[in-house]
Amino acid sequence: MNGVIDMRIEEHPILEKIEKGKLVSFELDGKVMSGYEDEPIAVALRAAGVMAHRHTSKYDKPRGIFCAIGRCTDCVMVVDGKPNVRTCVTPLKEGMKVQTQYGVSAKK
Amino acid sequence: MKRYELIVIGAGPAGLSAAIEAAKSGMEVIVFDENSRPGGQLFKQIHKFFGSKEHRAKVRGFKIGEELLEEAKKVKVKVVLSATVMGIFREKEITVMIDGEVNHFKADKIIVATGASENMVTFKGWTLPGVIGAGAAQTMMNLHGLRPGKKVLMLGSGNVGLVVSYQLKQAGCDVVAIIDAAPKIGGYGVHAAKVARLGVPFYLSNTIIEAQGEDCVNGVVIGEVDNKWNIIPGTEKHFDVDTICLAVGLSPMSQLLKAAGCDMEDSPKKGGLVPICDEYGETSIEGIFAAGDVSSIEEASSAMIEGRMAGAAAAKCAGYVEENSFIKRYHELEEALGQLRQGMFGPRSKGKDLKYTDEGIELSTSLLKNGYIDESEITNFPGVTINAKGIHPVIECTQNIPCNPCQDACINHCIKIGCNITSLPIVDENVKCTGCGMCVASCSGQAIFLVNETYEQGYATVTIPYEFLPLPKAGDMGIGLDRSGAEVCEVQVLEVRSAKPMDHTNLLTMKVPVDMAMKARFIKMKGAS
Repeated sequence: MNGVIDMRIEEHPILEKIEKGKLVSFELDGKVMSGYEDEPIAVALRAAGVMAHRHTSKYDKPRGIFCAIGRCTDCVMVVDGKPNVRTCVTPLKEGMKVQTQYGVSAKK
Repeated sequence: MKRYELIVIGAGPAGLSAAIEAAKSGMEVIVFDENSRPGGQLFKQIHKFFGSKEHRAKVRGFKIGEELLEEAKKVKVKVVLSATVMGIFREKEITVMIDGEVNHFKADKIIVATGASENMVTFKGWTLPGVIGAGAAQTMMNLHGLRPGKKVLMLGSGNVGLVVSYQLKQAGCDVVAIIDAAPKIGGYGVHAAKVARLGVPFYLSNTIIEAQGEDCVNGVVIGEVDNKWNIIPGTEKHFDVDTICLAVGLSPMSQLLKAAGCDMEDSPKKGGLVPICDEYGETSIEGIFAAGDVSSIEEASSAMIEGRMAGAAAAKCAGYVEENSFIKRYHELEEALGQLRQGMFGPRSKGKDLKYTDEGIELSTSLLKNGYIDESEITNFPGVTINAKGIHPVIECTQNIPCNPCQDACINHCIKIGCNITSLPIVDENVKCTGCGMCVASCSGQAIFLVNETYEQGYATVTIPYEFLPLPKAGDMGIGLDRSGAEVCEVQVLEVRSAKPMDHTNLLTMKVPVDMAMKARFIKMKGAS
């Protein structure tokens, strides 16, 4: 996947190697993707080039990461069936089922 | 209901410092933080801090975070993470959400150090994925090793906007521009100069008109504003970007204190709604203290001292510290804090249109407009010496900022600041420079260069601080960039020095034509973008 190579920082001039967990797979809307265990779900998605996490209920507008520290709730998604999960502060686990949220639920 | 002698809310720089100070004197302390990691925003701060030795100057923020955690552990401070404090009630009872359950705790004293949250501005398309806070960019790249985008526009030229822009470049992102609606750069000149010489342009008196894109950002339109903040027609500019970063200030997160019934004030100077505190940080409710950004937006260095003050005061009120030793400790801290608050960016100078440095030198106007000092102004400053015989430091430090590590860096003491921490450094031309470069690496503003105009016939050398990858090697050819980032000459890398005390600030020495000795300030490696 192109996005994975482009967005990850392999070596950093100050931080050197950034420690990562093991590579795990998860699902986004039924599609299998990969990311590193315990990194925020949002980080794995961004690395894979996914920008829209949810669509607003009234105008169906896309929303994605905004604050990345769990305050703004713009990045919430349906995770393992539970809606409104803040993906920027929720650690990624093997086999997680992540769904784009429409309003307050996944697409039926 | 468990009772603690001191409950600290927030495990950032202020909260941890408060907890450590109080625990050191024997108090039983617990810290609650809603995040899953302690340290607040410190672990995203990968730049070297300003100040003096006692303020941990020239140490990178995340290292200070590690040291704080170590110290907290040593004095047995208990830190509970993923614990959201929901309210402070009468008799200092607090409710904390942990694992989906509400827990009650009671404290003799409470220190609130909840920090601040980022401000935002609205414009057409501002809700699109790809518009993020500058803090989000820092979180992604410095904590999680992820570039937030490939091409980024930064809105805001305060220290956060400048520092994050530099960090974006270090992470390998392209920063297309830094813009600000204000007519001059808000942050430290040295931070601006650091990104300007990389070739990042500044557009002041400009704001975002529109973020473009359907599903996510694919462009941005900016425009110039007049003195009433209206867009001047015909000044629109378009950039292809996938990310727009907002660095438009911080607001204190003082909701808990307000809800607790503390007397509050709305203070633009302090960043918003803040509790009214006495000199020790105690609010109008006895035994409830506030420290750090929650009581006034400042630097992390100040927050740590405020935390220490509140911790010491709480310990005194609880009877753990005698009046006399408290007063002694308080004065130490007060002096350290006073130093940090000096200079042209301190609270007393906020909003003032300064024309001169404390030494009476005319401040550079080009620096505040373009992000770099015009060559014609550079020799006005006492750290800049030219045409000295042999190698010598050129210190392009032009604003009164509380910072002095350079004066201790030189073993021969050729750099002098004196007892006033905000004074501009002076180079003593009678002391021989050994060319060791420790001053270059010690300067948190990366404003010190070593220049040798008499290197060889027709050529000079310039040694620059270099914090990028891949690290060039001796013999590599590159292009010399001037302070504005414009290409000015061919250069050859003579040497790249890295050593532990330099802490990832490598010293790159390049050979330049002699007339470029006072122009070339950065290097672009051939083949790099």
